[in-house]
Amino acid sequence: MTRFVLRRLLLALPALFGLLVLTFIMLRVLPSDPSAALAGENATPEQIAAVRKAYGFDEPIWKQFVIYVGQVARADLGNSIISNRPVASDIAWRLPATIELTFAALLFAALVGIPLGTMAAVWHNSPFDHVMRVVTVGGLAIASFWFAIILQIVFSMDLGWLPLRARYPDGVPPPTEITGLYLVDSLLTLRFDQFWASFKHIIMPAFTLSLGGLASIARFTRAGVLETMQKDFVHYAEAAGYARKRIIWVYVLRNSVVAATTQIGLLFGTLISSAVAVEAIFDWPGVGSYAVSAILTSDYKAVLAVTLIVGVIYAVVNIIVDVVHAMLDPRVAETL
Amino acid sequence: MKRRTFLVGTGAAAATAVIGSPIALAQRNANELIWADQLPGNLDPHALFDVPMQGYMVNVYDTLYAYEGNPPKLVPWLATGHTVSEDGLTWTFKLHDSVKFHDGSPLTAEDVVWSFQRLLGIKRGAASAFLPVLDPKNVTAPDKTTVVFKLKHAYVPFLSAVPLVAIVNRRVIEPNVKDNDWGTAWLASHSAGSGVYVLDPETYRPVQQADLKRNPDHFKGWGHNKQPVEIVRRRNILETTTRINALIKGEIDATDSYLPTDQVERVMKSKTATVSQDQSMRVMVLRMNNMKAPLDNVNYRRALSHAFNYKGFISGVLKDYAVRNAGPIPANLWGAPKDLKPYDYDLDKAKELLAKAKAEGAPIDRPIEIHIQQHLAQTTQAAQILQQDLRRIGVTLNIVPNLWPQLTASTAKPETTPDMWVHWVSTYFVDPENWIGQMYDSAFHGTWKASCWYKNEKVDTLLREARRLSDQAKRTALYEEASRIVVSEAADIWIYNTIELRGLSNRVKGFQFTPVGSGAIFRIISVTG
Repeated sequence: MTRFVLRRLLLALPALFGLLVLTFIMLRVLPSDPSAALAGENATPEQIAAVRKAYGFDEPIWKQFVIYVGQVARADLGNSIISNRPVASDIAWRLPATIELTFAALLFAALVGIPLGTMAAVWHNSPFDHVMRVVTVGGLAIASFWFAIILQIVFSMDLGWLPLRARYPDGVPPPTEITGLYLVDSLLTLRFDQFWASFKHIIMPAFTLSLGGLASIARFTRAGVLETMQKDFVHYAEAAGYARKRIIWVYVLRNSVVAATTQIGLLFGTLISSAVAVEAIFDWPGVGSYAVSAILTSDYKAVLAVTLIVGVIYAVVNIIVDVVHAMLDPRVAETL
Repeated sequence: MKRRTFLVGTGAAAATAVIGSPIALAQRNANELIWADQLPGNLDPHALFDVPMQGYMVNVYDTLYAYEGNPPKLVPWLATGHTVSEDGLTWTFKLHDSVKFHDGSPLTAEDVVWSFQRLLGIKRGAASAFLPVLDPKNVTAPDKTTVVFKLKHAYVPFLSAVPLVAIVNRRVIEPNVKDNDWGTAWLASHSAGSGVYVLDPETYRPVQQADLKRNPDHFKGWGHNKQPVEIVRRRNILETTTRINALIKGEIDATDSYLPTDQVERVMKSKTATVSQDQSMRVMVLRMNNMKAPLDNVNYRRALSHAFNYKGFISGVLKDYAVRNAGPIPANLWGAPKDLKPYDYDLDKAKELLAKAKAEGAPIDRPIEIHIQQHLAQTTQAAQILQQDLRRIGVTLNIVPNLWPQLTASTAKPETTPDMWVHWVSTYFVDPENWIGQMYDSAFHGTWKASCWYKNEKVDTLLREARRLSDQAKRTALYEEASRIVVSEAADIWIYNTIELRGLSNRVKGFQFTPVGSGAIFRIISVTG
């Protein structure tokens, strides 16, 4: 297993480098020059040229890339050209917010999607299955920004049950930072009031974000369970008199969720990119809203850093998924 | 104990703890304000200068003069007054002698000198307003309360531009200077001012949030406001719908001042909030590159000016929350001719003018491009309206999505400047120089404000003369004449002067709009309830 993990880690490196190259090319080859905006109101071409020089935008693209890769190799993501602060520190306080939201959405999608998919398979072609099909197709098709606004209007504006926006109430000190994940930190410090406040804030964004993933997981699980239920060992188990519940929820499910598990890994990438819109709507202070501001201001170092960090997280999650996959099905580890 | 019993027991205990524990989270304090408007990209008032920075600067820093009210009046602030030499070159400002920075140190003439030198040294933000007329070494402090500026040549709008320069605390910044950066890296996330509010740097998150605390020792005192706001929480909520919903729900006290017009009624109908509607000085303009054929032909430009459905846009799209503006100077500012006739929407006239342009050799069949700012819906709407009508008279207009940084970079040369693009000219300083002076004097070619590349020697002469004269009546006459020429030659398409629409919670009292800073002047605001 150690060899398997190491191989997966090594395979991730060229992928990350490729990501860096592609993003850099896209950002720097396409017309994207913040110098004039930085130089200020009515700046003369000479002032703009001075800014361009100061930031190294006048260097050939290949040279800019070599310098940037050198910086990244030294774990230096550079300074934001807009905020004039290290990009790493700008992102550092936002990243836990995005990770918390994405994992909450993923957890919700898995915890609800797998049982729903299993039930749809067990009762396939029943009214429940048909309703599930509509719900899952709907879940994949519904635009998250529309759904988010509906949730805000119903649960916050009309019913007043949940806060409309933000990660935590304005002006109230957040949980003591241990991991940066408010739900975890509040539990670790046994501050259940803080947990409750954080929980109330994350419900709507996490639910919105999870919708597409939930539908996807449910459909993969349904297909997997249906296929497994046709296998001989299930018939043997039934013939041997095992309880149906045990057969489905233990034996069938374990053999069916391999595809869904892989799907969860892929979903993480989708969720973290969808988080951009969800964070903007719910005023969630994550890297998504930071990326939006960075794109609008052509703050290319910030955009590169966000892309790279999200890429690293995506790679790590996929390695974890592969490991889980290998644990569920040891044949996988042998093939790699 | 069975596993299931254990799990149920643990779950129940946790649920009881969560639900049963007291929610020790404070409600909003009565004397705090949540202001959900855009924050500047960073907090150094000399490194950046835009509308969000103005909103920050007017609260955290003081300036020699300041703008108050609407239409804005220039009033002495840190200065008690000023004098100008007869040749218009030497400007002497006398300062209050009791002003203190947030760290308690006195604000003296030396600080004013250093602040201007820093601005001119950094060469960013508002520096462009001063670089052509002011050498850093010509700002001097003969004594603790006197500052003297010796300009390179007479420049009357100098006084109007003085409120652009925040006076910063040298003693706080200098220890944080690195690599001769004038402390820009440090000041980007800290403050060094003397203003009515003090930044709490611990709360600052770039582009997201910053808390400002009241400065009880501000030199102007607080006698004018019996219930001042103690803490202003600046929050940047990206999504418009969320901002508006949060306002109606009472989670925030103010939105930005560009509320979508279709949301005004909704906010007004709510029992919790209202909309402040104030005519600003912010002109929407469709730029035309006067150096690129066929836009170099005056009749072609006039045809385009007649092909825009002004009423349809202002009434239909903006629901009349805008005022038609005939020329480049906002109609509510001196210098704008009162009798200036705006271009009307007349496609027959446009066709006639196109035919004239064609006869003069203009390649009118060439498709032209208009670049919009893709995150600003109004720029798209205006472009689409023009596109539809131009199609009816045989002109192809292609809409190209773009962003502000790219657009401003492209305007350095006529060949890279788009055929057309859409933007607004906001109130950076209150003088016709801010609009017509910098938009149509060819000396400004290469800057985004002069990106139509208009060139008329008569206009150049009028505008340069207007900069030199101190008599406002004479200046008015010059600007009016220049306006008439520029409009008659259809240098650009001027659409409207903005009515700023800021959603305000009913808690907010004392809000007074001024175009500089869009009314974000917290010293006069109180909150109730």
